[in-house]
Formats: sequence, C-alpha cells, structure tokens
Amino acid sequence: MTDSLTLDTGEASRAAAQQTESAEPTREASSIEMQGLHKRFGRDTVALDGVDLVIEAGEFFTLLGPSGCGKTTLLRILAGLEEADDGRLAIGGRDVTETPPHKRSVNTVFQSYALFPHLSVRENLAFGLKMRGMPPADREARVAKIAEFIHLGDLVDRRVDQLSGGQRQRIALARALVNEPDVLLLDEPLSALDAGLRSQLQVELLRVQKRLGMTFVFVTHDQQEAMVMSDRIAVLNGGVIQQVGPPREVYEHPANAFVARFMGHDNLYPISARDGDRLTTPLGVLSAEAAGEGGLLLIRPETLDLLPGEPAGDNQLPATVSERLYRGSHAEYRLEVGESTLQATLNNRGRHLPEVGDRVTVRVAPEDLVTLSE
Amino acid sequence: MSYAGVTPTARSRAMVRESRHLLFTVAPGAVWILLFLVLPSAYLMGVAFMTNGPYGLPQMPLSLASFERLAGFGFLGWSPGNLYTLLRSLWQTLISTGLVVIVAYPIAYYISTCREKWRPIMLLLVVVPSWTNQVIRTFGWMNLLAPGTPLSGLAEGLGLIPPNMGLYPSNFAVTLGLVYNFLPFMVLPLYAAFEKLDTAQVEAAQDLYASPLRAFWHAVFPQTLPGLLAGIVLVAIPAFGMYVIPELLGGGKGMMLGNLVANQFSGGANWPLGAAGAILMLIATFVGLFAMRRIGKRLGGGEEVVI
Amino acid sequence: MRKRTLKRGLTGFWWFTLAFLYLPLAVVVLFSFNASNSAASFTGISLRWYRQLMGNEEILSAFANSMVLAIVSSVIALGIGCLIGYGMYRHRHRKLGWLIVLIYLPIVLPDIVFGISEMAFFVQIHRLTGLFQPGLGTMIIAHVTFQIPFVALIVYSRFVGLDPTLFEAAKDLYATPVKRVIHFMLPTIKPALISAFFLSFTLSVDDFVISFFTAGPESATLPIYIWGAIKKGVSPEINAIATLMIGAVAIAAIVSLMFSRRRQA
Repeated sequence: MTDSLTLDTGEASRAAAQQTESAEPTREASSIEMQGLHKRFGRDTVALDGVDLVIEAGEFFTLLGPSGCGKTTLLRILAGLEEADDGRLAIGGRDVTETPPHKRSVNTVFQSYALFPHLSVRENLAFGLKMRGMPPADREARVAKIAEFIHLGDLVDRRVDQLSGGQRQRIALARALVNEPDVLLLDEPLSALDAGLRSQLQVELLRVQKRLGMTFVFVTHDQQEAMVMSDRIAVLNGGVIQQVGPPREVYEHPANAFVARFMGHDNLYPISARDGDRLTTPLGVLSAEAAGEGGLLLIRPETLDLLPGEPAGDNQLPATVSERLYRGSHAEYRLEVGESTLQATLNNRGRHLPEVGDRVTVRVAPEDLVTLSE
Repeated sequence: MSYAGVTPTARSRAMVRESRHLLFTVAPGAVWILLFLVLPSAYLMGVAFMTNGPYGLPQMPLSLASFERLAGFGFLGWSPGNLYTLLRSLWQTLISTGLVVIVAYPIAYYISTCREKWRPIMLLLVVVPSWTNQVIRTFGWMNLLAPGTPLSGLAEGLGLIPPNMGLYPSNFAVTLGLVYNFLPFMVLPLYAAFEKLDTAQVEAAQDLYASPLRAFWHAVFPQTLPGLLAGIVLVAIPAFGMYVIPELLGGGKGMMLGNLVANQFSGGANWPLGAAGAILMLIATFVGLFAMRRIGKRLGGGEEVVI
Repeated sequence: MRKRTLKRGLTGFWWFTLAFLYLPLAVVVLFSFNASNSAASFTGISLRWYRQLMGNEEILSAFANSMVLAIVSSVIALGIGCLIGYGMYRHRHRKLGWLIVLIYLPIVLPDIVFGISEMAFFVQIHRLTGLFQPGLGTMIIAHVTFQIPFVALIVYSRFVGLDPTLFEAAKDLYATPVKRVIHFMLPTIKPALISAFFLSFTLSVDDFVISFFTAGPESATLPIYIWGAIKKGVSPEINAIATLMIGAVAIAAIVSLMFSRRRQA
C-alpha cells in the first residue's frame, strides 16, 4: 500500500516539481538550512540572535521553548511572513531568504486556524491550489483526495462557522497539506484544544507525517508534546538555540541548566569539588560514571531507588519522605537529604511505597548521573 | 557569522515598503479632505478677518469689523439685531436639547424594557422618520401648524394664540421642529446605555434606598450618563447651527445663527460677516466636543463616543 | 402595583411619541391625494397631483440630478474611503492621530459651515481660474467629502473585526498581492462595502444644506426643488413628490429590517 498523495507520478511531474511555482509541487521532502538568522522588533526586543540550524528532509522537527523565546518568529521567517534582519535561509537547497511567502512552497497551520469565513470548507481547501492556477477539475480531485486522507467525511460540505475546534484544526491541516508543500509549518496547532482531543490529534498528526514523509516544523511550548512527536527538538531561549537533538538526548542529557529545567528536571546540584569520578555536592559525595565537565549535577527522578533502612555503601544517601503524590502508575516523592531536597519517581510495581515521614535510603546509580554547565 | 551588509537594507527596505503602502492607501482620501474641506474652511476663516467689499465679496485690508458687526456695531451705531439672533440660537439650542432629553429618556428606557425581539423594530420606528429629507419633514410641520389646521384651532380655542395666526411661523414652531428633528439622535445613545445597565446594581439600590426615586438617582442615572452626554453633543452641536428649520418655521423673528450666516452669502450681502458667524459656530462645535471628551474621561467610562 | 402603573404610562407615552414622529409625514402623504389644492381641508381622493408631477420637466430633471449625484459620489467615495479604511487598519499601530482628526472633520463640522466654506472656495477659484463652475461637479466633490469618513470607518471596523492571521494565511496559500485583494479582502469585506454604499447613497439623497450651497443654476436636486417650491408658496405637488420620497425610505426601512432579521437567524 502506498500513501502517495501525488496524482500522477513519473518524469513529467518530477520535472514540474523542479519549478518552484508549478501547479504540481514536489512531494519529495526538503531540508531547511538556516545560517546566522537575526531578528529584532523595534529597537530593543531581540527575537532571534544568530540562529544556525539544519533541519533534515522528512524530519518531524520541533521548536520548543517558553513564550517569547523566538520560536514563533523563527517559524514565521520560514513561512516568509517575517523577514530576517540578517542571515540566510535555504529550503530544499534553494536560497529563499528574500522570497515572499506566496512564492514559497511552504504552508502553515496557524494557531487560530485562520479559515476564511467568506468561503465554504471546500473552497478553503482549494484556496491555495486556485491561487496557483490549478484548473477546477484538478482542484476538486486533489481536495477529494486530501479529504479522504484526513478522514474529513462530510465536513467538506459544511460552513466554516459550523465546525468545532477539533474539526477546524483538521481542516486547517488539510488546507495546508493539499498543496503538497516542501515543508509544513505548524504553529502550536493543538494548543486551543482540550487534553483528550489533543492527544488524539497528536497521534493523527504523527501518522500523517510518517505516511507522507514530509518535513514538518512544529512549534510548541509543551515539552511532553515535543517529546511525543518529534524526531528532533531544538530548545530555544532568548532567541538563541540552547540544544538540538532527539527527544531522548535532550531529556537525558540536557546541554545546560535552562534546557534541564525546561524539560522538567528539578534535581540540579552544584558540584563544589571533584576528585576523579567523585563529585562533592550538597547531597553528599557521589561517584559518577563518565560524568562530563560541567559544574552542575543532574539526577533524574526516575533513576532513583528508595530502599528501607540505613545507607550501606557508595552512592547511598539517608533521606526523609516529606511529600508523596500517588499517581496510580507511579508515585512522586519529595525527599529531604540533609539541607537539600530531592525529587524521586517510583514505578508502582507492587512494591512497598514509603509514606510521608518514613526514613529511607536513596540509591543513586553512577551510570545515570549527568553533569552539565550552568 | 555576520552579514553586516544585509542588516540595514532588509529593515529599511521593509520600512520603505510600508511607508509607500501607507501613502498609496491614505493619501487620496487625506488629500481630498484637505483640498476640499480643510483648505476651504481655512479660506473662510481668513475671510472673516477681511473687509466687506462690493457685492459682499471680501477684500483687503484685514480688520475685525465683521466681528464688531456680529456684536451689533454697524454704520448706524449699535443695534441689537445680531445679538438677538445669537441669543435666540443659544436659547433654542438649550430648550430643544432639554426637551429632547425629557422625551427621549423615558422612550429609551421603555424600549430597553420591552421584549428583545421587538427592540430592533422599535428603534427602527424611531429612526425611520429621520431618514426622510429634512426639508420634507419640516414641510410636514408647516402643514400641521398652518392657520386653519386642527392644531392651530386648538391653540386658538385655548387662547394661546390670537385668531387666524396659526402656530407657524413662530419660535414655538422652531423649537418643535428641532425636538422632532433630533429626537432619534438622543434615543439611540440612551438606549445603548440602558441596554448595558447593570441590573444587579439596580436591585442592590432598591434594597439600599427607601424610595424608587433615590434608587434611580443613585444606581440608574449615573450609568446612563455617558449615553446622555453623547446624545447632548449629537443634538446641541447641529441644533446650534441649524438652518432649514428656522428658515421654514421661524419667519423673520425666528432667525438663528445659521440663517444669519447663510444670508450673508446669498444675494451679495456680506461674506466677512457670514464668515465671522461661521467661526463662532466652529468655536461652539469644538468647545462642545472638547467638553464632552473631558467629562467623558472624568466619568471614567473611557469610552470613545463615535458619531 | 406602582410598577404596573409606570409601565402603562410609558406605553401610552411611547404611542404618543410615535404619533408625534409620524404625524407630519402622514399629513404629507394624506394631502398628496387631496382632490382640492387646499392645505387645510381634505375634500376627496384624487391622483391629480401625481399626474401633474409626471409632466413637470423640472421635477424630472431634479430627480435625475439627485440620482446622478448620489450614484457618482457614492462610487467615488467607496473607492477612496475603502483605501483609507484599509490603510488605517494596516497601519493602526502607527501614530495616525492626525488622520483620525482629518477623517472626523467632515462629520463634526456643522453642515452650514461645510456648505458655505466650499461655496466660497469654489466661487473664488472659479473667478480666478474658471475651474469649478458651480454645478453637479462641485456638488459631487462636496458629497464625496462628507461620504468618505463613513465609508472609511465602516471598512475599518470590518477589518478590525477579522482574525489578523487571515491575511497571513492568504499569503501563505500562494496569493499574490493582487489575488489577495480579489480573492480574500474584497469578498471578506463585501457586506461592509454594500452597507457603506447604501449609507453614502442615503446621505447624498438626504442632504439639503450642502447641496444647496454648492449647486449651480442647472443642478437642482429634488430637495432643492422642493425647497424652492415651498419658498415660492406651497403647492400640493410638493406633497406628491415628498410622498414618493417617503415611500422610498419606507421600502429601505423594510429591506433593512429584513436584513437584520436574517443576520439574527
């Protein structure tokens, strides 16, 4: 089974695809190269401060960061809705730094969906094809194809104001995909939806991307969403890329304290002295395997083990349980170790779950310790 | 990596593009209004400071003679004619605005208490007469108030007017015409205020204050004040400069400032005098608008009154 | 108890006010069908004044002037006002206070001042250059001047009510600047354009004072003709022509009511 959206294949369409403004754009995924992108708003607000980034063809790539970090600005520069003050941008190997948005084979799913209120759903879907000058019969075929692909069903015949939030979201996705762009940009497309619908659409979006093999650039401030969906994540702060990597790498080996905190880590401790693999921290002296050079120690809560009784050996710390959040599948602990606190997560596998006030021993695995710079 | 050369051009190119866009969209209308309204008004103001020449046209030298004439000083010494006209304009504006408030306030309140589906129709019924031409509406009143009509007969029977005089032309007819003309302008903003009325406040007031009158005064009236002010501006400013109604219903003794001004521009009378009168009207207009803004801001509503 | 009395009193006052509002118009309509030419007594139904209307060249040309003036000025004002409304929207983050003042000026200026300024200005320019001969041309200029603000404000408020990302979506979906205007902006603001045109048209037909001062000897509109006829001495013919104009307004009122009903539905 092939999930090709292209109506005709072969040399003709491939040749047409070479022309950027052809009615039959390429379906082959394109890479994106950014070099030294700068953007300022007004005199003082720096949105992007030198972004160098390569997004591979066919990747599901996520720009992650808090609001105001520059992720939306970067996406808008990719779309051509904003022009960089400085730097170069190439899509599919072609420099598009100064190409206006209507000449880029790039489409966007907007946060507000931005469906045209004066058009029906069907006309909304066909808008981009019509603007590119595709004949009506071909447009209809393409719209029908995408409607089937996204399972729009009878939504196509409704008016825009008759759609729910989730339906609008899917129409907005279809309206962008129907143009078969080189790159699809998604600006927090799920943020307006409630949690259940949101995770359902996350799965659907991922499925669509994998089947089409298209390059997706996704913007979000939700690190969970980013980890679920992405092949790679770029974490931004203050207009600067902090780290680029696959979700596991970013989560398990954050490049700095900002990334670690943004990914939800709280167990960060300054290293006051080190003697080979032995690190002195406020928790005590811990030995780490292959710890890096950084001055901060990261202990992920899920790597910790809680044992009954007193510490008996290396990397074991005496602790008191000060808080327990029982979450069914697991439990989250807040532990007091001397003057410091430590978060721990225990899987609920039928074992004993210590309670508030219990004295326990925390065992830290040397191979799970990571150091990072401030 | 630095692309120092790109920085100024990309930004300045965008700025030039935006400025050119602003120019293309705004310039035709702005130039039109400047050329065909601001310039003529400026010219008119200049005329007020010139001397009256042959055929009433303005000529040099500059002088304040027109303003002296407006205050009643002419070749034959002081005469009160023009001052009477000014005072009559003020008086008619005050009395008709007051009457419009008295009629419009209960009407606006009544509409706001009716069922929601009737309200647009009721508002339309109030507004529709003002869609017909002002001259026709005033002509209707001429027919109604002329000698021999039932209304004039009634007034005669009550001894309010001498026999066979009719209710028009008279100052009374002008007042009536002004109230009739401006009623919708007051009902609309007042209705908007009543519709937004915070009923919780009114109910609280009914608990707090013994008499309904006091409840009204403390809870309802302040909330309708912005609408009332908007209405007063919408009525008083055009009433002060009214031309058609006093011309048709007022007769010689019902003349207002608008007629004084207009007469100076027809039949070769005296342009500078007319222009001086127009300046007076402009001053009244802008003082009214300014006062409205100040009071509106102090009320804290912060709502721009859009005409 | 007291509440009910109040409500009853208000209902009575409402009907009294309605009578006050419609009585003058009703009298005009009634006497337009009067068999005699008396303005005081109704003697029987007849259509003679309407028949007389149809033969009156002056009225027919006044009607034609009114229509030409209203249509031409509304079309020009629609174009200029639409541009300015869009410009105000697109550049709303800039300091455009001067523009707002300029746009409100025609609305707040007393129409007698408006009329005589333009008349004095046109007369002087005409004396100096021979341009701006008072007539339909000068009237059109004057009418466009007071119509522009209304068109601009209606168009502006329509744009402000739109999701600003729609403009970006249109760009993103390959619409060139020209196609954005044709396929996105104009269709989106179409209702605003229609209502702006009708408002301009109504304002033009309704205007007397400004027309009166900017008109030439050949360019009398219906209100100017009626004014002249009233000044010359009341003729029952005026009732007939006025009734026709009242009828046009009544139709407009019913249409607008139907439109507002449909919007609610």
